[in-house]
Amino acid sequence: MNKLLPLLALGFLTGCTSVINTGDKIERALTPPDAVNYATTRPEGGFSTQINDSRFGNKLELLAARKSKTAGGFTQVQFDLRNGSYLGQTANVSFEWLAADGSVTERQGNWMVTPLEPGALTTVTATALKSTSAECRLRIIAR
Amino acid sequence: MNKISLLAMAALIVGCGTPASYKDSEGRQLVVSLEKIDLQDFATAGNAMLQSMITSPAFNAAGASPVLQVGQITNDTGTNFDTSVLLSKMTVPLVNAGRVTLIESDAVASAARKNAGSSAKVPQPDFVLSGKILEDRSNAGSTRQSSFVFQLTLVEVKRSVAIWKDEKIVTKQGSKNSVGF
Repeated sequence: MNKLLPLLALGFLTGCTSVINTGDKIERALTPPDAVNYATTRPEGGFSTQINDSRFGNKLELLAARKSKTAGGFTQVQFDLRNGSYLGQTANVSFEWLAADGSVTERQGNWMVTPLEPGALTTVTATALKSTSAECRLRIIAR
Repeated sequence: MNKISLLAMAALIVGCGTPASYKDSEGRQLVVSLEKIDLQDFATAGNAMLQSMITSPAFNAAGASPVLQVGQITNDTGTNFDTSVLLSKMTVPLVNAGRVTLIESDAVASAARKNAGSSAKVPQPDFVLSGKILEDRSNAGSTRQSSFVFQLTLVEVKRSVAIWKDEKIVTKQGSKNSVGF
Protein backbone atom coordinates (compact mmCIF):
# COMPACT_ATOMS: atom_id res chain seq x y z
CA MET A 1 0.00 0.00 0.00
CA ASN A 2 2.86 2.32 0.91
CA LYS A 3 4.36 1.82 -2.55
CA LEU A 4 1.06 2.03 -4.36
CA LEU A 5 0.07 5.49 -3.16
CA PRO A 6 3.13 7.40 -4.47
CA LEU A 7 2.64 5.59 -7.80
CA LEU A 8 -0.97 6.75 -7.89
CA ALA A 9 0.16 10.28 -7.10
CA LEU A 10 2.63 10.06 -10.00
CA GLY A 11 -0.23 8.93 -12.25
CA PHE A 12 -2.24 12.00 -11.29
CA LEU A 13 0.78 14.20 -11.98
CA THR A 14 1.18 12.79 -15.49
CA GLY A 15 -2.44 13.43 -16.41
CA CYS A 16 -2.61 16.85 -14.79
CA THR A 17 -2.98 19.85 -17.08
CA SER A 18 -1.23 22.15 -14.62
CA VAL A 19 1.96 20.18 -15.28
CA ILE A 20 1.56 20.82 -19.01
CA ASN A 21 1.07 24.49 -18.21
CA THR A 22 4.37 24.53 -16.33
CA GLY A 23 6.07 23.03 -19.39
CA ASP A 24 4.34 25.63 -21.55
CA LYS A 25 5.67 28.40 -19.31
CA ILE A 26 9.23 27.06 -19.59
CA GLU A 27 8.89 26.89 -23.37
CA ARG A 28 7.50 30.42 -23.44
CA ALA A 29 10.50 31.65 -21.47
CA LEU A 30 12.86 30.05 -23.99
CA THR A 31 10.98 31.08 -27.15
CA PRO A 32 9.99 34.71 -27.72
CA PRO A 33 6.25 35.05 -28.42
CA ASP A 34 4.93 35.79 -31.90
CA ALA A 35 5.00 39.57 -31.79
CA VAL A 36 2.66 41.80 -33.79
CA ASN A 37 4.29 43.60 -36.71
CA TYR A 38 2.95 46.59 -38.60
CA ALA A 39 3.00 47.96 -42.14
CA THR A 40 1.41 51.36 -42.69
CA THR A 41 0.69 53.04 -46.01
CA ARG A 42 2.12 56.52 -46.53
CA PRO A 43 0.25 59.52 -47.97
CA GLU A 44 2.99 59.96 -50.60
CA GLY A 45 2.86 56.25 -51.59
CA GLY A 46 4.65 53.12 -50.46
CA PHE A 47 4.62 51.94 -46.88
CA SER A 48 6.60 51.96 -43.65
CA THR A 49 7.12 48.97 -41.37
CA GLN A 50 7.52 48.32 -37.67
CA ILE A 51 8.91 44.82 -37.20
CA ASN A 52 8.71 43.64 -33.59
CA ASP A 53 9.39 39.95 -34.25
CA SER A 54 13.10 39.51 -34.98
CA ARG A 55 12.32 36.22 -36.76
CA PHE A 56 9.71 37.81 -39.04
CA GLY A 57 12.14 38.28 -41.94
CA ASN A 58 12.88 34.55 -41.95
CA LYS A 59 9.18 33.78 -42.30
CA LEU A 60 7.41 36.36 -44.43
CA GLU A 61 8.29 39.21 -46.78
CA LEU A 62 6.15 42.30 -47.26
CA LEU A 63 6.61 42.98 -50.96
CA ALA A 64 4.35 45.90 -51.79
CA ALA A 65 1.41 48.05 -50.73
CA ARG A 66 -0.99 49.62 -53.20
CA LYS A 67 -3.58 52.23 -52.37
CA SER A 68 -6.54 53.24 -54.52
CA LYS A 69 -10.09 54.57 -54.31
CA THR A 70 -13.29 52.62 -54.97
CA ALA A 71 -16.03 53.96 -57.25
CA GLY A 72 -17.73 55.32 -54.12
CA GLY A 73 -14.58 57.20 -53.10
CA PHE A 74 -13.46 54.93 -50.25
CA THR A 75 -9.81 54.02 -49.75
CA GLN A 76 -8.78 50.49 -50.68
CA VAL A 77 -5.39 48.92 -49.99
CA GLN A 78 -3.64 45.74 -51.06
CA PHE A 79 -0.57 44.30 -49.34
CA ASP A 80 1.48 41.63 -51.14
CA LEU A 81 3.03 38.96 -48.90
CA ARG A 82 5.44 36.15 -49.72
CA ASN A 83 6.43 33.15 -47.68
CA GLY A 84 10.17 33.21 -48.34
CA SER A 85 10.95 30.27 -46.07
CA TYR A 86 11.16 26.54 -46.77
CA LEU A 87 8.38 25.88 -44.27
CA GLY A 88 4.66 26.50 -44.45
CA GLN A 89 3.71 29.64 -42.53
CA THR A 90 0.49 31.04 -41.18
CA ALA A 91 -0.04 34.77 -41.38
CA ASN A 92 -2.61 36.27 -39.02
CA VAL A 93 -3.61 39.64 -40.42
CA SER A 94 -5.89 42.44 -39.34
CA PHE A 95 -6.42 46.04 -40.48
CA GLU A 96 -6.72 49.42 -38.84
CA TRP A 97 -7.68 52.58 -40.68
CA LEU A 98 -6.24 56.00 -39.93
CA ALA A 99 -7.47 59.49 -40.73
CA ALA A 100 -5.16 62.04 -42.36
CA ASP A 101 -4.19 63.32 -38.88
CA GLY A 102 -3.21 59.80 -37.75
CA SER A 103 -6.20 59.07 -35.51
CA VAL A 104 -7.76 55.62 -35.76
CA THR A 105 -11.08 55.71 -37.61
CA GLU A 106 -11.86 52.00 -38.04
CA ARG A 107 -10.52 48.79 -36.63
CA GLN A 108 -11.04 45.20 -37.69
CA GLY A 109 -11.24 43.31 -34.43
CA ASN A 110 -10.65 39.74 -35.52
CA TRP A 111 -7.54 38.12 -36.99
CA MET A 112 -7.81 36.63 -40.47
CA VAL A 113 -5.88 33.35 -40.64
CA THR A 114 -3.98 33.03 -43.94
CA PRO A 115 -1.96 29.81 -44.43
CA LEU A 116 0.92 30.17 -46.92
CA GLU A 117 2.76 27.34 -48.64
CA PRO A 118 6.57 27.77 -49.03
CA GLY A 119 7.22 30.36 -51.72
CA ALA A 120 3.54 31.29 -51.95
CA LEU A 121 2.47 34.82 -52.77
CA THR A 122 -0.76 36.24 -51.45
CA THR A 123 -2.49 39.59 -51.54
CA VAL A 124 -4.55 40.77 -48.59
CA THR A 125 -7.09 43.47 -49.42
CA ALA A 126 -9.09 45.85 -47.25
CA THR A 127 -11.59 48.56 -48.09
CA ALA A 128 -12.47 51.38 -45.72
CA LEU A 129 -16.07 51.93 -44.64
CA LYS A 130 -15.62 55.59 -43.76
CA SER A 131 -14.63 58.34 -46.17
CA THR A 132 -12.33 59.83 -43.50
CA SER A 133 -10.12 56.71 -43.53
CA ALA A 134 -7.05 57.74 -45.51
CA GLU A 135 -4.24 55.36 -44.54
CA CYS A 136 -4.23 51.68 -43.61
CA ARG A 137 -2.17 49.93 -40.95
CA LEU A 138 -1.73 46.20 -41.48
CA ARG A 139 -1.22 44.20 -38.29
CA ILE A 140 0.53 40.92 -39.01
CA ILE A 141 1.76 37.95 -37.01
CA ALA A 142 3.77 35.20 -38.73
CA ARG A 143 3.90 31.70 -37.31
CA MET B 1 3.70 7.79 5.22
CA ASN B 2 0.19 6.71 4.34
CA LYS B 3 -1.28 9.96 5.57
CA ILE B 4 1.34 12.09 3.83
CA SER B 5 0.77 10.27 0.53
CA LEU B 6 -2.97 10.67 0.83
CA LEU B 7 -2.60 14.39 1.56
CA ALA B 8 -0.24 14.81 -1.41
CA MET B 9 -2.77 13.07 -3.66
CA ALA B 10 -5.60 15.24 -2.37
CA ALA B 11 -3.54 18.38 -2.98
CA LEU B 12 -2.76 17.24 -6.51
CA ILE B 13 -6.39 16.55 -7.31
CA VAL B 14 -7.46 19.96 -5.98
CA GLY B 15 -4.69 21.79 -7.90
CA CYS B 16 -5.31 19.93 -11.16
CA GLY B 17 -6.75 21.72 -14.20
CA THR B 18 -6.50 25.18 -15.67
CA PRO B 19 -8.15 27.96 -13.70
CA ALA B 20 -10.65 30.09 -15.62
CA SER B 21 -9.31 33.38 -16.93
CA TYR B 22 -10.53 36.22 -19.18
CA LYS B 23 -9.40 36.26 -22.77
CA ASP B 24 -9.62 38.88 -25.51
CA SER B 25 -12.74 37.88 -27.49
CA GLU B 26 -11.02 39.14 -30.63
CA GLY B 27 -7.62 37.68 -29.80
CA ARG B 28 -5.85 34.49 -30.87
CA GLN B 29 -6.04 32.57 -27.60
CA LEU B 30 -9.58 31.29 -28.14
CA VAL B 31 -10.81 27.70 -28.23
CA VAL B 32 -10.87 26.22 -31.74
CA SER B 33 -13.69 23.67 -31.95
CA LEU B 34 -14.02 21.00 -34.58
CA GLU B 35 -17.68 20.22 -33.97
CA LYS B 36 -19.13 23.73 -34.08
CA ILE B 37 -18.75 27.22 -35.50
CA ASP B 38 -16.72 29.36 -33.10
CA LEU B 39 -17.18 33.10 -32.59
CA GLN B 40 -13.94 33.78 -34.48
CA ASP B 41 -15.32 31.80 -37.46
CA PHE B 42 -18.37 34.06 -37.60
CA ALA B 43 -16.04 37.07 -37.40
CA THR B 44 -13.81 35.74 -40.20
CA ALA B 45 -16.73 34.91 -42.49
CA GLY B 46 -18.66 38.08 -41.65
CA ASN B 47 -15.67 40.33 -42.26
CA ALA B 48 -14.78 38.63 -45.55
CA MET B 49 -18.39 38.89 -46.73
CA LEU B 50 -18.63 42.54 -45.67
CA GLN B 51 -15.49 43.43 -47.59
CA SER B 52 -16.77 41.58 -50.64
CA MET B 53 -20.18 43.30 -50.50
CA ILE B 54 -18.94 46.87 -50.09
CA THR B 55 -16.62 46.51 -53.08
CA SER B 56 -19.31 45.12 -55.38
CA PRO B 57 -20.23 47.54 -58.19
CA ALA B 58 -23.98 47.23 -57.56
CA PHE B 59 -23.68 48.14 -53.87
CA ASN B 60 -21.43 51.09 -54.69
CA ALA B 61 -23.92 52.33 -57.27
CA ALA B 62 -26.77 52.27 -54.74
CA GLY B 63 -26.07 55.71 -53.32
CA ALA B 64 -24.82 57.05 -50.01
CA SER B 65 -26.95 55.11 -47.53
CA PRO B 66 -29.29 52.55 -49.11
CA VAL B 67 -32.06 51.06 -46.97
CA LEU B 68 -31.26 47.50 -45.92
CA GLN B 69 -33.54 44.89 -44.43
CA VAL B 70 -32.21 41.72 -42.93
CA GLY B 71 -33.88 38.60 -44.33
CA GLN B 72 -33.67 35.01 -43.23
CA ILE B 73 -30.40 33.20 -42.61
CA THR B 74 -30.99 29.46 -42.62
CA ASN B 75 -28.90 27.34 -40.28
CA ASP B 76 -28.43 24.04 -42.11
CA THR B 77 -25.74 22.73 -39.76
CA GLY B 78 -26.05 20.12 -37.03
CA THR B 79 -25.55 22.62 -34.21
CA ASN B 80 -27.95 25.18 -32.87
CA PHE B 81 -26.90 28.85 -32.85
CA ASP B 82 -28.37 32.27 -33.43
CA THR B 83 -27.65 33.37 -36.99
CA SER B 84 -27.73 37.01 -35.91
CA VAL B 85 -24.10 36.49 -34.80
CA LEU B 86 -23.08 36.39 -38.46
CA LEU B 87 -25.35 39.22 -39.53
CA SER B 88 -24.21 41.54 -36.76
CA LYS B 89 -20.61 41.17 -37.99
CA MET B 90 -21.82 42.80 -41.20
CA THR B 91 -24.57 45.17 -40.12
CA VAL B 92 -22.82 46.72 -37.09
CA PRO B 93 -19.87 48.21 -39.08
CA LEU B 94 -22.18 49.23 -41.95
CA VAL B 95 -24.67 51.05 -39.72
CA ASN B 96 -22.03 52.65 -37.50
CA ALA B 97 -20.15 53.96 -40.55
CA GLY B 98 -23.40 55.33 -42.01
CA ARG B 99 -23.10 53.15 -45.09
CA VAL B 100 -26.63 51.72 -44.82
CA THR B 101 -29.95 52.60 -43.20
CA LEU B 102 -31.07 49.46 -41.43
CA ILE B 103 -34.76 48.73 -40.99
CA GLU B 104 -35.38 47.66 -37.41
CA SER B 105 -38.67 45.81 -36.95
CA ASP B 106 -38.69 45.81 -33.17
CA ALA B 107 -42.23 45.29 -31.84
CA VAL B 108 -41.87 47.73 -28.94
CA ALA B 109 -40.46 50.45 -31.20
CA SER B 110 -43.32 49.93 -33.68
CA ALA B 111 -45.92 50.14 -30.90
CA ALA B 112 -44.28 53.29 -29.51
CA ARG B 113 -44.34 54.82 -32.99
CA LYS B 114 -48.07 54.11 -33.33
CA ASN B 115 -48.80 55.48 -29.87
CA ALA B 116 -46.88 58.65 -30.65
CA GLY B 117 -49.07 59.10 -33.74
CA SER B 118 -46.01 59.57 -35.91
CA SER B 119 -46.81 60.39 -39.50
CA ALA B 120 -43.21 59.84 -40.62
CA LYS B 121 -43.01 57.37 -43.45
CA VAL B 122 -41.19 54.11 -42.71
CA PRO B 123 -38.56 53.72 -45.44
CA GLN B 124 -38.99 50.91 -47.91
CA PRO B 125 -35.97 48.61 -48.24
CA ASP B 126 -33.72 48.92 -51.28
CA PHE B 127 -31.99 45.65 -50.44
CA VAL B 128 -32.65 42.46 -48.49
CA LEU B 129 -29.74 40.42 -47.14
CA SER B 130 -30.35 36.70 -46.71
CA GLY B 131 -28.37 33.48 -46.77
CA LYS B 132 -27.58 30.02 -45.57
CA ILE B 133 -24.96 28.28 -43.42
CA LEU B 134 -24.04 24.67 -44.24
CA GLU B 135 -21.50 22.18 -43.01
CA ASP B 136 -19.41 19.33 -44.35
CA ARG B 137 -17.55 16.83 -42.21
CA SER B 138 -14.98 14.22 -43.15
CA ASN B 139 -12.21 12.29 -41.44
CA ALA B 140 -9.08 10.28 -42.20
CA GLY B 141 -8.08 8.04 -39.33
CA SER B 142 -8.15 10.12 -36.17
CA THR B 143 -7.96 13.40 -38.10
CA ARG B 144 -11.30 15.14 -38.34
CA GLN B 145 -12.17 17.97 -40.70
CA SER B 146 -15.08 20.35 -40.44
CA SER B 147 -15.96 22.86 -43.13
CA PHE B 148 -18.60 25.50 -42.60
CA VAL B 149 -20.00 27.18 -45.71
CA PHE B 150 -21.42 30.71 -45.39
CA GLN B 151 -23.56 31.83 -48.34
CA LEU B 152 -25.07 35.30 -48.55
CA THR B 153 -27.18 37.05 -51.18
CA LEU B 154 -28.10 40.73 -51.51
CA VAL B 155 -31.39 41.13 -53.35
CA GLU B 156 -32.48 44.39 -54.95
CA VAL B 157 -36.14 44.70 -53.90
CA LYS B 158 -37.34 46.75 -56.91
CA ARG B 159 -36.35 44.13 -59.46
CA SER B 160 -36.15 41.05 -57.22
CA VAL B 161 -32.72 40.24 -58.56
CA ALA B 162 -29.58 39.23 -56.73
CA ILE B 163 -27.03 42.01 -57.16
CA TRP B 164 -24.35 40.39 -55.00
CA LYS B 165 -23.66 36.83 -53.88
CA ASP B 166 -20.69 35.35 -52.11
CA GLU B 167 -19.56 32.23 -50.34
CA LYS B 168 -16.93 31.88 -47.64
CA ILE B 169 -15.74 28.50 -46.37
CA VAL B 170 -14.06 28.10 -42.97
CA THR B 171 -12.24 24.76 -42.64
CA LYS B 172 -10.79 23.34 -39.42
CA GLN B 173 -8.77 20.14 -39.11
CA GLY B 174 -7.38 18.18 -36.18
CA SER B 175 -7.97 15.28 -33.84
CA LYS B 176 -9.30 17.35 -30.94
CA ASN B 177 -10.28 20.88 -29.99
CA SER B 178 -7.42 23.22 -29.12
CA VAL B 179 -6.67 26.58 -27.54
CA GLY B 180 -5.25 29.33 -29.74
CA PHE B 181 -4.67 29.72 -33.46
